[in-house]
Amino acid sequence: MKKFSLLVFLLMVSVLLVACGDDKEEGNASNAASGDKKQTETAKTETTEPVEIEFWHAMNGDHEVWLEDAAAKFSEENENITVKLVNQGSYGDLSQKLLAAAKAKTSPTIAQAYAEWMTEYNANNLVVDLAPMINGENGFPADASYEDISEVFRVDNTFGDKVLGLPFNKSTRVLFYNKDYFEANGLTAPTTWDELAAAAKTLTKEIDGKQVVGMGFENGLAHEISMWFEQAGGDFVDEKEGKVLFNTDAGLRALTFIDTMLKDGSARMAGEDGYLSGPFTRGDVAMYIGSSAGLAYVAKDAGNMNWSTAPLPKDVEAAAPFQGTNITMFANSTEAEQAAAFEFMKYLITPENTVDWAKATGYLPVRESAQQGQDWLSFIEENEAYQAGNAQYADGFIDVRLPGSYAMKNAISVELDKMLFEGATPAETLEAMSTKAQEALDQAK
Amino acid sequence: MKLKETAKAVLYLSPALLIIGVFTIYPMIKSFFMSFYAEYDYFNDVVHRYGFDNFVYLWNDAVFHKALQNTFIFVLGVVPVSILLSLWIALMLNSITFLNKFFRTIYFIPFVTSVVAVSIVWRWIFHSNYGIMNYFLSWFGVDPINWLTSTEWAMPSLIILSIWKGLGYNIIIFLAGLQTIGDTYYNAARIDGANRWNRFIHVTLPQLAPTTFFVSIISIIGSFKVFDEIYALFDGKAGPSNSALTVVYYVFDKFYGEWNFGVASAAAYVLFAIIFVFTLLQFYVSKKKITY
Repeated sequence: MKKFSLLVFLLMVSVLLVACGDDKEEGNASNAASGDKKQTETAKTETTEPVEIEFWHAMNGDHEVWLEDAAAKFSEENENITVKLVNQGSYGDLSQKLLAAAKAKTSPTIAQAYAEWMTEYNANNLVVDLAPMINGENGFPADASYEDISEVFRVDNTFGDKVLGLPFNKSTRVLFYNKDYFEANGLTAPTTWDELAAAAKTLTKEIDGKQVVGMGFENGLAHEISMWFEQAGGDFVDEKEGKVLFNTDAGLRALTFIDTMLKDGSARMAGEDGYLSGPFTRGDVAMYIGSSAGLAYVAKDAGNMNWSTAPLPKDVEAAAPFQGTNITMFANSTEAEQAAAFEFMKYLITPENTVDWAKATGYLPVRESAQQGQDWLSFIEENEAYQAGNAQYADGFIDVRLPGSYAMKNAISVELDKMLFEGATPAETLEAMSTKAQEALDQAK
Repeated sequence: MKLKETAKAVLYLSPALLIIGVFTIYPMIKSFFMSFYAEYDYFNDVVHRYGFDNFVYLWNDAVFHKALQNTFIFVLGVVPVSILLSLWIALMLNSITFLNKFFRTIYFIPFVTSVVAVSIVWRWIFHSNYGIMNYFLSWFGVDPINWLTSTEWAMPSLIILSIWKGLGYNIIIFLAGLQTIGDTYYNAARIDGANRWNRFIHVTLPQLAPTTFFVSIISIIGSFKVFDEIYALFDGKAGPSNSALTVVYYVFDKFYGEWNFGVASAAAYVLFAIIFVFTLLQFYVSKKKITY
């Protein structure tokens, strides 16, 4: 009796296993094939058959509205192509769903992705090399060439000789400051670390009955710590060798700088407030370093407060991280879908569209011609807060893209938290951060 | 005849079996094998080498040890307090008839509310400046506590939230248990001159033993698996400096964050083994102690 039910059960399980087994063979074959056929096929982008492409994104609010408009306009211009936008929630959700979809061989045609994710996709042969399409007949037009895209964004998408994505929503970090507080105290926006520290000290006092803290750091400080190391004249990680380089005097200087401000009370963490846009617009914090993508949020909440942004203060060097996602293309799609998706990816960053997008969201135009174009320049002339980002391209650098960089950042965050919240000394924190980060990288090798 | 009946039973059970098979049994078997993947291509299901590498990794990984330690602290912090508190409240509710149902509903609400919503509310309760918790403590001259941003208090905050959240369910189970105890026992005890306390110790507790056993098993298993509360309370982190990292959170991080699928599966099986041993132990003890 028992044996019989067990038998039935085993039978069911084995049916399941077989069913799953079948799939993957097919997936393998199409994966391998897509690589070499592509080059010849992409020439015929003028699709005659209707194609639907699926785009998974994590854009919400106004950002999503813009994207929907753009997709609708694109479909009007390209009658055969339908773009199906799928909002997957947050970046975290998007990442998890992309992982599950890749395993189930049901990846979308294209999706937003950080370069860090693309490293993993590349290692598992999940994404398409766009280089043949870019260099093919239907590549970029001459008046909006691929080379016109800012170098820092092209580098972010280049893995060896492969191009695995095109930039879309890119941001940088800027200094947000409360103009009212600064002017009332005879201060201008700081351009160096020393000025930053001095301004923070001056502004840490009671203003209009409020206990103001001069400077604020976002909770995700671990994710921008490379910026502080670079500005102090140090290095972060050698991407080629997978070696951690920040355990130096410059590294110590950066941590000491942050720690000193936190200890003497002239700076605070976002802490329980989550992000600093809240305390900043309430007037609790006089300035903070945050993502330029937060411009729209600050503008919405600022009310009567006068505020602006400034380029990041420098120490030994000027250094500005450029962040945000790219759009990458998954390999389990047909050539027709890939060609159609490539059209859409180009469309999102035409000189007109990338400026339009930047105006609506606070992200950055990804093309040099757009950054220097009359349209954008006159816009930032009128909207002072958007200027800082535009001034930083020359000092731009991108995130580390190594297998294990997620684990590395996690390890850095755990150790850095001990200094930020628990009073560990900068020296021991730096040592621990460096050791743990190197361990994480070594494990992934 | 018997065969026919069995076939019929299997037929009726098959929808449920199919769902359990696909979403529970198959993943369990699969992850069991995955925990022995040493070198593999996850997306194409190609395994180059099987081995104990993942378990060796866990044995040496300080982060995993921390996760284990935190998980045990969590279980020890939540389960006893939760059981005692819910038993006490259930006894109170059982002895009043007026508003009984109303209070029962009140206590049950946290259990049916989404963990994420609850955690957001508790984030405000725990806020060091604006939170009601610190305001309340200030009446007793306690200095503001950094509930969510200090490594010392992250775990206690999580434990408080979890106790509060699980209370309602335990109370309902205890109430059901209390109602099955016949009045005859109490009346007999009264005749023997037993006072309230004696009746509780010698009638209620022994009669309630099976219920207590059930509640403790469910609570222990549930507490070992804690995840949502952490994710929501600390905003997608395992508390400052991993101070609220538990085993399931560790599994989640290894799987979705680091794409370290083998280690994630191995960690899940270590947790499975621990829960299994604890449950066996409880069954053993209950056989000895529940004597009627």
